[in-house]
Amino acid sequence: MTLTPESFSYVADVVRQRSAIQLDLGKEYLVESRLLPIVRERGLADVDAYVRGLRARPDPAELELVVEALTTNETSWFRDATPFTALTQHVVPEILAARGAATTLRVWSAACSTGQEAYSVAMALEDALPNVRVQITATDISEQVLARGRAGRYTQLEVNRGLPASMLVKHFTRSGTDWEISQRLRSMVTFQRHNLLHAPPAGQFDVVFLRNVLIYFDLATKREVLRRARSVVRPGGYLLLGAAETTLGIDDDWERVPVGRSSVYRHNARRAA
Amino acid sequence: MSPLAPFDTVQITAIAEEVFAAMVDGEPGHLVPWAGDAPVLAEPLHAWVEIHGTFAGRTLLSTDVSTADDLARALLGMPADEAVSEEDLVDAFGEVVNVVGGNLKALLPVQEKLTMPRVGRTAPDTHGATRIDGVVLAWRGRPLDVSVWQI
Amino acid sequence: MRALVIDDSRTMRRIVAGALGRLGYETVEAGDGQEALDVLEAGGRYDLACIDWNMPVMDGLTFVTNVRANPHWRSVTLMMVTTESEHGQIVRALAAGAHEYMIKPFTPDALRDKLELLGLLPLEETV
Repeated sequence: MTLTPESFSYVADVVRQRSAIQLDLGKEYLVESRLLPIVRERGLADVDAYVRGLRARPDPAELELVVEALTTNETSWFRDATPFTALTQHVVPEILAARGAATTLRVWSAACSTGQEAYSVAMALEDALPNVRVQITATDISEQVLARGRAGRYTQLEVNRGLPASMLVKHFTRSGTDWEISQRLRSMVTFQRHNLLHAPPAGQFDVVFLRNVLIYFDLATKREVLRRARSVVRPGGYLLLGAAETTLGIDDDWERVPVGRSSVYRHNARRAA
Repeated sequence: MSPLAPFDTVQITAIAEEVFAAMVDGEPGHLVPWAGDAPVLAEPLHAWVEIHGTFAGRTLLSTDVSTADDLARALLGMPADEAVSEEDLVDAFGEVVNVVGGNLKALLPVQEKLTMPRVGRTAPDTHGATRIDGVVLAWRGRPLDVSVWQI
Repeated sequence: MRALVIDDSRTMRRIVAGALGRLGYETVEAGDGQEALDVLEAGGRYDLACIDWNMPVMDGLTFVTNVRANPHWRSVTLMMVTTESEHGQIVRALAAGAHEYMIKPFTPDALRDKLELLGLLPLEETV
């Protein structure tokens, strides 16, 4: 049977409380498809039966699984779109104005998974500001996803996820059943292994993408991750977070700068005490 | 493998798996290589699309009618006990071969045009046709034969 | 939001219209390009058309060319939804005036992503 309205609103409440992510009506299919693997593993008949069981006896570990299943997105290219617009229209022009157009812009894509975000940054900058020199460092904890990012090969299903067709034909070529990103874009991105709770990658960055990561951490860990990120962002550099994330109340050395409907966070250097 | 037809079982399987994961099952894992000898279909249904160009070829899907019924139910979001009309059966199975064949077509070195899908209880005439490659897959445990032919 | 779903396969029409419906769209279906032009001629505002390429009577590319030639239909966003997946075919469709291109097979999430790119998501969503 399909998900009842009661079950849907229960799951939506749980997800909102724990992740600040809002599951609107109409998202029933999302709940069903994301929870189905858990439900199958439990040997249950359908998702609704599983949710009814949870409502009767909420198990914290099980609820954690539900939230994770619903908040972990398949990697899209220009996910949320707004950070990329903010990057090309506000963040980078401001940095170039301050440092001179000849500068090499350094970007860190943290928790980069298979590289779609890093390459999206490369494509966005290449198209909007073709004369800017860009070096992107993409990091993740998993060697497996890093290897895929380095290869720059994506399946048809992957290139269907949020990549504008104009960018697909401009930057990719077909390679058998896959699509391969151009050598030029690959040369802009370096992939390396990194755990967010450890010392950040070497050097100083102008922009850090740290999106949809903080939501999984408790306050103390969020603070630590933000502090470490700040240690490698140049004064005047920027942090870009996920739509449901903020530095406010966690690490106050970032200044929230509204851009369009979203916000970016500027690293304001403290004067030496 | 003919130089004109760069298809192999790995690519055929990869494409079929993507089609089923995305459009039929909503997740991967339900279409896997068939283990053991290829089974004989009790009541076969065939669907095929062709290319008539520099390369003349055919993508052929064969399965049992009962499996094709379930495939149609999965695609159309119908409950397991609802009867599938002949029209829905033909349209759904035809669309599956259309998507599989269209993706295989993209592997050709030259751009070709795909015919409209055809579906029948009898397989298309194999006279003068050469089977290039193919694979037997198991969809939810039941056989589905995917083959590519030079015609 | 209203969408025109154009595909000769009723299965595919139902899949596309179903996914659009769950995102809050009202949908009208057409079985080929000519039928879709007739729907547009009959009036009514459409925000989006999802267009198959290979169809009898009038194919999707011809439909796109026709729509783009008529200034009355400027506001309709045209997205190819097709199994044609060669690099050159995508270029052709964009050159003919298609705004976006989605390759079959696709998932409902991929459709949602494309609509977000196009600024055509009816619901305010954060997931």
